[in-house]
Amino acid sequence: MTSIDVREADGGVVLAPSGRLTVVTAPQLRAAVAERIFAGDRIIVVDLSTTEFVDSSGLGALVSCLKSARQAGGDLRIVAPTDQVAMVLRMTNLDRILQPRASVDDALRG
Amino acid sequence: MSERRVVEFAATIESIDVVQAEFDAWWTSLDDPKLEKRFALEIAVVEIATNIVEHTHRAEGSTGRRYELTLDADEVAYTAVFSDNGMPVDIDLSTVTMADVEDENGRGLALAIAALDSLDYRRAEGRNIWTLVCKR
Repeated sequence: MTSIDVREADGGVVLAPSGRLTVVTAPQLRAAVAERIFAGDRIIVVDLSTTEFVDSSGLGALVSCLKSARQAGGDLRIVAPTDQVAMVLRMTNLDRILQPRASVDDALRG
Repeated sequence: MSERRVVEFAATIESIDVVQAEFDAWWTSLDDPKLEKRFALEIAVVEIATNIVEHTHRAEGSTGRRYELTLDADEVAYTAVFSDNGMPVDIDLSTVTMADVEDENGRGLALAIAALDSLDYRRAEGRNIWTLVCKR
């Protein structure tokens, strides 16, 4: 089961989904990001360091959230993907538009 | 050596969590499993299970259908076979391509194909049969 830890940070908001990000749990991430954009956050950092597994639905949610953030004048940045997540980002070429940052601080700085 | 596990699931979105729990239990029981092979087979298993569940709901709504997964390992390959008695699937796997990076959907089958050594779909005796093979 996935839980999403949300914390305010200097310059944005950090969301950390833990566990699996799949068709079962991807709607939670979409909803959490939508809520933060509605609340006024513009820099959305998704910390993937505790995301053990992502599938195409999880990737779709990340792309959707990236678009939403950019449409609102902001950005979405991912941090520290685990090995499985990095693999599927490469396989789908999504590492081109979701270039992983090494740390949350790097992501917040841009 | 052959390490076989057969499990059945209700065709619901929530079943994907159960599929992964069963996969995890089977995989951790294997001798000398390689992590990169796990990644490859597990993503394909999850994508095909999701495809079966979503196809069932699109074609028939919530019908109480079930699907079966057989996981097997021998000296040559890891194999997963899905079987269900839902409506036939109209798919030509040779035409599947990876979605563009801006697309929110359309990566599931392409990911499964890219991860596996072979993916086969056939209709036999009124059932949809998906066979996923990942060489050791």
